[in-house]
Amino acid sequence: MGLLSDPSLSTHNKLVDNLAKHVRKLCLALYTAGVVWFLCLAMPEFNHGTYLSENALSPGLVYPEIRIEANRLAVQLLEELQRERKEHQSTTPHAWIAAKFQEFGLETHTHNYTLRYPFGDGKEFHGKNIYGILRAPRIGSTEGIVFSAPYRVPSSVHVDITPSVPLLLAFADFARRKNYWAKDLIFLVTEQEQLGMQAWLEAYHDGDKESDSSDAYLRAGNLPARAGSLQAALNIEVQDLEVDYIDVKIEGLNGKLPNLDMFNLVQRIMAREGVVSGYKHTPRKKRRSHQSNYEQNLRQMLAMLSSQASGVPNGNHGLFHRYRIDALTITASKRVTNANVKSNPTSAAVPLLKAIEGIARSLNNLLERFHQSFFFYVIVNNDRYISIGDYMPALIALVACTFIKAYLTWSTLDVTVAATQSDPKSAGGKSTLAADTMKLSLPYGSVLIYLTFVLLIGYCGNVLPLQEYFSKLPLSAAPLTASILVGLNAIGFVLPFVVTLPPGGLELLHIGLLLIYGCAMIVIGLLNFSLGFFVAVISMPLIIALNTKASDKSMRNLTCVWTLLLNPLVIIYIIVLIMSFYQFPELTALQLLPRAASAAMDAATFALIDSVIYGNWLYFVVCTIFLPLWIISWTLVVGKRRDVEITKTKLKTN
Amino acid sequence: MLSALSTFLPPLLLLLLWTPLTPTAHGHQPDEQFHEELVVRPLAGDHVNTYFQFTTRWHYGDRNNLFHTQLTPRVIAEILQTYDVKELHISLTQGLWRYESWGYPIVDATGGAELWAWFSASNLTNDAVNKQWMQLANVFSGVLCSSLNFVDNTNSIAPRHIFRPQFMHHAGENGKQFVRYATLPREIVCTENLTPWKKLLPCGSASGLATLLNSGFVHNTKYHSLGVKVRTLCDHDDDNNCIVELTQTANLVYDLKLLEQSNTDFSLRRLFGMGLNGYCELATSSRIYAQRSEQGERFQLVPPPAFNVSSIRGGHRVSYGVYDIQQQFEAAAPDATRLFNIAWIGEKSAGGGRRLAVSALNLPPLYAHRYLLGNGQKRGRIATEIRNTHYEDLPVVLLELVPWYVHAYLHTLRIRNKAQQRREYATDVNDELPFKLLHYAPGKQRELPTHLEIGFVLPAKSSAMITIEVDYLLLKWLEYPPDANHGHYIGAAVISTQLPMGRNYSALPPEAHLFKDSFNASRPSYTLTLRTEALIVSLPTPDFSMPYNVICLACTVVALAFGPIHSVATKLMIVERQTTMPRNLLRKLIHKLKSRWGSKKEEATSVQETATDEKQQQQHEEKEAEQQESVICNEQKQANM
Repeated sequence: MGLLSDPSLSTHNKLVDNLAKHVRKLCLALYTAGVVWFLCLAMPEFNHGTYLSENALSPGLVYPEIRIEANRLAVQLLEELQRERKEHQSTTPHAWIAAKFQEFGLETHTHNYTLRYPFGDGKEFHGKNIYGILRAPRIGSTEGIVFSAPYRVPSSVHVDITPSVPLLLAFADFARRKNYWAKDLIFLVTEQEQLGMQAWLEAYHDGDKESDSSDAYLRAGNLPARAGSLQAALNIEVQDLEVDYIDVKIEGLNGKLPNLDMFNLVQRIMAREGVVSGYKHTPRKKRRSHQSNYEQNLRQMLAMLSSQASGVPNGNHGLFHRYRIDALTITASKRVTNANVKSNPTSAAVPLLKAIEGIARSLNNLLERFHQSFFFYVIVNNDRYISIGDYMPALIALVACTFIKAYLTWSTLDVTVAATQSDPKSAGGKSTLAADTMKLSLPYGSVLIYLTFVLLIGYCGNVLPLQEYFSKLPLSAAPLTASILVGLNAIGFVLPFVVTLPPGGLELLHIGLLLIYGCAMIVIGLLNFSLGFFVAVISMPLIIALNTKASDKSMRNLTCVWTLLLNPLVIIYIIVLIMSFYQFPELTALQLLPRAASAAMDAATFALIDSVIYGNWLYFVVCTIFLPLWIISWTLVVGKRRDVEITKTKLKTN
Repeated sequence: MLSALSTFLPPLLLLLLWTPLTPTAHGHQPDEQFHEELVVRPLAGDHVNTYFQFTTRWHYGDRNNLFHTQLTPRVIAEILQTYDVKELHISLTQGLWRYESWGYPIVDATGGAELWAWFSASNLTNDAVNKQWMQLANVFSGVLCSSLNFVDNTNSIAPRHIFRPQFMHHAGENGKQFVRYATLPREIVCTENLTPWKKLLPCGSASGLATLLNSGFVHNTKYHSLGVKVRTLCDHDDDNNCIVELTQTANLVYDLKLLEQSNTDFSLRRLFGMGLNGYCELATSSRIYAQRSEQGERFQLVPPPAFNVSSIRGGHRVSYGVYDIQQQFEAAAPDATRLFNIAWIGEKSAGGGRRLAVSALNLPPLYAHRYLLGNGQKRGRIATEIRNTHYEDLPVVLLELVPWYVHAYLHTLRIRNKAQQRREYATDVNDELPFKLLHYAPGKQRELPTHLEIGFVLPAKSSAMITIEVDYLLLKWLEYPPDANHGHYIGAAVISTQLPMGRNYSALPPEAHLFKDSFNASRPSYTLTLRTEALIVSLPTPDFSMPYNVICLACTVVALAFGPIHSVATKLMIVERQTTMPRNLLRKLIHKLKSRWGSKKEEATSVQETATDEKQQQQHEEKEAEQQESVICNEQKQANM
């Protein structure tokens, strides 16, 4: 405490004096600097052109050998599969896929898994993945690459991506005849979207996990065969063999990204084979709008950050990142532009097949795991990126003012406390003398208890919805989770009105809030920049405006409203509302509001399920960090008023 | 059951000593023989196994005879003289033998380089063996052009139970037996190993079956393994009555699909790029055995073999078509230059479906897999899964050699068991299989690897999962290999068992030295040794880009400094009064103006300068004087020189 209670840091300090005078301006300046810095990043002067850092990849060093026969095979397999699909409306034709793998001479295996649904009294779902391993002639099964294609049943609500499986099979047949493979190739067909992939990966890396332990929701089981340590993975989602353009998806679980080299590799090889490809690629018609280069870049950046922020992977590739396997998805879209100009169907997919071959051979060249280039980056354009060193200053600038404010609040603590606590007459002379004793006599204990209680509320949000006690209630998952969350928020809302902190407690709480908030934002920003940045942008004004000292009433009301709007539940509702407004423009406002409410409930439930099955920490962060922080700021906004009222009444009585 | 492993060998070895010493009709020395054999076995899934075995057997008798070698390479004779090694196995392998689909190999080997040797002599100590072991590895590193010189005490162990000696020493020596074992899983096997390996043969690659081993074709296979095995057999009573046996093996598995042809027929020419040009004239016998049972049934041989041999071993019948190459070439016209070729032509009627059915039925009685579990760079689990598809319990011994950079914890060792039809392993601790024997020597950082040997009985129709938890060590930065992010290797586990029947089993009996000796060699049990996959672990790896940059920077600085220092040290320095006048007239004018204006300005400023500045100037001048002096000294020195 010696350093912090150093008398030189008292109000008589010049620095503190000046800081206290200009703190709001400084904070606003820092905030603006952060936002402006971020906006500047979209300018070509502030970002860099992509390049390949790993020499071993050497994309396009070899001539593609895959020929039109592979395409013919793919077309033929697609026809067969379409016939199979008529018989399997809601199941995967496992037998057909396994038979094809076997026919092509791959080591074929199936993997069964079971999902015990967290809600609904232990309902169980079963799934089955099929994979074939091409044992590479040049290695003793110590390393492997995964090529995966998700299979969607005809009754699925998602886009039909049936041709991915024939394409994968055609490539497998080609690869089987080659002797240059130096890594085992695993061809994997998963079902049930990301669940199948998650189960497969878990089985691959934790196959000996004991399955009848009751806390596991996903029982992945074990795999009958493996191919050493996985180096990279490519997920293929093809809507049609006639490809219009390719959208490369990279965002993974919790905002993790594959190595930038891998993305560049795909871009280079696609360009070489003449396939239109890009990050967040859209059909040509839309892109032909009159946007400036800068605006396009900014849109691209924001699009990436917004899809990264939720931490939900936008393809099966995203689940690999947790195991340090670099992976991405190439999504080939059906021909929309120039749909009347039919290309020759017997050679339509040849460029795509060539590209897959090129990627496979480049990955095959890898001597080491991906370790060069960047793992943290923001893509501005297909060939431009921002590295972590360039975008972190924006976040730091945004958050920096919390620490300044915390310092200032701490060093001016004695004055404010003295002013509110003791008589105004005797305050003048004694306050500085009593500064040291004052700091020691602050209500640390009660503030700590309050903080613990608030964090406990957040913890309950994590744990309560999964309790068996609740799951036995005759409620479905979404209302249950939502009601628990609303209940916890209500407790947080009422808390400041029920609990009155002793004098000086609010100031201490304020310091605590500033420090916790600042640290949390930087840590979250390091792990998932998008989430940290967006939360900082919307919540920093409140943190700047928060003031325990008495200020004018309109300002206080404004902060009050702003705080209410920043409640995590309200934010989720607003986001869902905006999204549903754009998705269903035909609905009226009255129809929209309840619909968005139910959608928001679903969103909360899905986030919870994601967190227990896939390990997505968005729900955890919102419950354990954002909710307690909100309750503290709400306490500061509301509780101060009571504090002031008390002193006012005291004054009156005097 | 396990005791059978150790007891049955020595009496058998006694039998064989005198059998091969009968003189042959051939011209060269009767007590030294060379045999070449090639076994071709079609395997399931369009694979073909070709196994070359070159055996040199020399009854050298007295130790002094080792100085005069004929067919046996000199290096082998020399190591027998220099070291107390009695038995030596080296294998250099690329790829992995797939037991599930290919059955058992004739000689088993792990990926990379593997080396084990038995030492025995009177008064031999452990330290002496360690020393000899490293020297021996160094010798063969040179002989086979491989990295065996990396074998030292940090990666070698002395297995207790899994390896049994196959040599015989006379009773008088009475010394202890020492064994050393090491693997180098990272070793890559290529032409540079094949060429010196072929040079050990009496005929080299000039004639005989070895001409088929062309590197372009040998290394285009799915699995290839070169082996060298040396053992000595000495009379129990007489020290000067010894045999040295050198067996060189090349075990290849071809994938017919990689040969880029439409059907699955094949021939010697397809596999090796050329036919056979003859036999090695120094060879006592040179034969080709083509397996005609099992997967071989579907092929017709063209030309048909001279005769067929059928062997019943452990209740399992195998038949081979035999080609005697010497007869083949002697029967042909002496001036015929045609290369000898054998073609395997599949029956067109037999569909692929039947082949699949056969391969599915023929799962070998015991096979194993190994993998690494867990994620992250801090800790993991090594899991070895052994499956017993036989209807009897099998005794199993497992050897694990865990390198020092991975810490294994014995208390986490578990052997879980499950019946074949069950999907998951039993979790109850009581259901775990009990150890019958356990030998554990903990590793020591940078000094000793962890050595673990477990013996247990694997119940019939069940599988066992052996897991042990490991921690990954953070190495010193110089201990990382150049491609640090590739990962570090953990060598394969060795698994040994006693099979009660001979299905899928084709290894030579321990006392035999030719492939034909394995025909009808029924025994009460058959020792089977398997190797699992090697593993790659990614240890915590620092970002090496920073040291790399530092090295680059340091090198640049040194390079920049080198030039001036070199020129100062070697060149003669002459101080010359420089005429500063430029030659051009216009420039002369400008220069004059400048110098005048500059001197005026200097005067103006010098007035304002303080005393301290003057001091500095004085110092500066002094320094200059000194420098000039030193330059003069230099000049003098140069002049003196």
